[in-house]
Amino acid sequence: MRSIQRRLSLGLISVLLIVGLVLAQISLWLFEIGLQRYLESGLRNDSESLLVAVVRGPDGLQLDEHRLSPGYQRPYSGHYFRIDFDGGHWRSRSLWDLELPQPEHPGLHANLELQKSHQSLLLLHTEYRKFGQKIAITVAQDYTPVQASFALVKQIGLGLGLAALVLILILQRVTVRRALKPLDTAREQLFQLQQGQRSQLDETVPLELAPLVAQINHLLAHTEDSLKRSRNALGNLGHALKTPLAVLMSLAEGQALEQQPHVRATLRDQLQQIQQRLERELNRARLSGDALPGARFDCGAELPGLFSTLRMIHGEHLDLSAQVAQELILPWDREDILELLGNLMDNACKWADSQVRLTIIRDAQGYSLMIDDDGPGIPESHRDEVLERGNRLDEQVNGHGLGLGIVKDIVEAWDGVIQLSGSSLGGLLVRIDLPERHAPQSLRSEPSESL
Amino acid sequence: MRLLLVEDHVPLADELMSTLNRQGYAVDWLADGRDAIYQGASEPYDLIVLDLGLPGIPGLDVLQKWRADGLATPVLILTARGSWAERIEGLKAGADDYLTKPFHPEELQLRIQALLRRVRGLANQPTLQAAGLHLDEGRQCVSREGEEIQLTSAEFRLLRYFMLHPEQILSKTHLAEHLYDGESERDSNVIEVHVNHLRRKLGRAVVETRRGQGYRFGGAGG
Repeated sequence: MRSIQRRLSLGLISVLLIVGLVLAQISLWLFEIGLQRYLESGLRNDSESLLVAVVRGPDGLQLDEHRLSPGYQRPYSGHYFRIDFDGGHWRSRSLWDLELPQPEHPGLHANLELQKSHQSLLLLHTEYRKFGQKIAITVAQDYTPVQASFALVKQIGLGLGLAALVLILILQRVTVRRALKPLDTAREQLFQLQQGQRSQLDETVPLELAPLVAQINHLLAHTEDSLKRSRNALGNLGHALKTPLAVLMSLAEGQALEQQPHVRATLRDQLQQIQQRLERELNRARLSGDALPGARFDCGAELPGLFSTLRMIHGEHLDLSAQVAQELILPWDREDILELLGNLMDNACKWADSQVRLTIIRDAQGYSLMIDDDGPGIPESHRDEVLERGNRLDEQVNGHGLGLGIVKDIVEAWDGVIQLSGSSLGGLLVRIDLPERHAPQSLRSEPSESL
Repeated sequence: MRLLLVEDHVPLADELMSTLNRQGYAVDWLADGRDAIYQGASEPYDLIVLDLGLPGIPGLDVLQKWRADGLATPVLILTARGSWAERIEGLKAGADDYLTKPFHPEELQLRIQALLRRVRGLANQPTLQAAGLHLDEGRQCVSREGEEIQLTSAEFRLLRYFMLHPEQILSKTHLAEHLYDGESERDSNVIEVHVNHLRRKLGRAVVETRRGQGYRFGGAGG
């Protein structure tokens, strides 16, 4: 997944670079042309004053030295001329031993090299008629200093442009981050949702995000609602099936069948099978599994109820204790967790002599739920067998629970692991390791990382 | 022992009535929650078996109403909804025990038995013990010092009530109220006859007569 911020930055940089470069190039070009036009008028002036300096002397045409500007006298001064006419040509003294490049067409010529002087010339070649003669005047000016300052301007401009680009990028980042803040908030809330710390996304979001958030909330509500409805329907189905089953079970034990022990045994057996299957499947269907991201089990609020229920069922002689961090919240469905803990602790209570202990720890990998009792325990050789068959741990104690089978279903639905071992209290330790609720990858990264 | 059974499924109620009657309980049956609210509070029941899926008014509401009105009679919830979340809810509403359908009739009997003892503060042992007598509620016979004595159904009912209320003075009317259901005719002479039968089988001292007050079981002589 590419981040919006990165995409925006890349787009902005390329647009700014292209536009900036084109603009800079065009404006430099226009500026240079303007400058050359300006210089050209100067050169034309020079050219015309040279024409004026051409006078008719005793032996033909003569150049009036007094009318020449001193710039033409000093060698390599940067101001040069050459006058061609029928009888010969004059060159300015400043040319010294160099030849002025001679363009073929009249007009302004730029970027002509003055031989080894490394001077770049701006040159104006003009043709006149004076005294009935054709006179071609070429004036040139050293263009190098202008070019140098031009290069400096270019560098300064480039520097300024880069600085502006950086500034724009920084501002853009700030703006975009601010504009994307709701996205970050939404992402954070999604993470909290996964962690069971909230059940809905905050609806006060920018217009663009509102449909998404509304849709997610709608889906959440819908999932919760259909879970509730299917649980209710399952409850009704269970009620509809179990009540007649109770009648049949009662009938099977009644006096009517006393004379037919064979019928009674078969009936009993089949009813038992129906009941177990029904119980298991209904319970499995009730599990919410991973369906609901906003699910949460508040240990502080729910455990006391569970404990008092267990105390009521098993009597006050049992010492039930919980070692659970204050305000610990498990990110799973309340009913599922209650079913899990209820069955396991119920089993533990049935077997315990005097003590049952529940420990819930949160660590880096996820959550560990441990139920200890001081009962007889299960010999090591039998533990795997008990787990594999989803056997009833409570077979010899009254009750018809399918405790461990349902526990296994729940733990498997959550990708957890269930282990049986010896408890420090002397009995059985049931340990369930549940991995952290997996959230989509980028949800967990810090906002700054992916931006 | 007089029970109130609130259950809307007629075949199940019939079955339960006959099972419970066989086990020596006097049972009144109601199918509607609204009747149950009234009758549960007005009649002196020793225990109420309450189905949660009732027409009219849900069983949990009935229970909450009873508890809110200060009714202390032990209530055993009978329901097809067996999840722990619902169980906790039921017990929070004031139930004393919870039995999920379908159940073995024997299981119901054991739960009722255990609940009745728990309410009286007695240990949940296989037999009911008081004044040197051991009462086997399943087989409806009593033994003293290893010697087993057979009882008729009426004697068993009476003895069980006495043994659950040892050293208490119980009037004939009180006994009649708790030993017969609402539809039987209550004749206090019948109680007298049964007390005499018990005395014949277990010795005169077992039930003491307090003139003008009633009977007292397991007193000094017992």
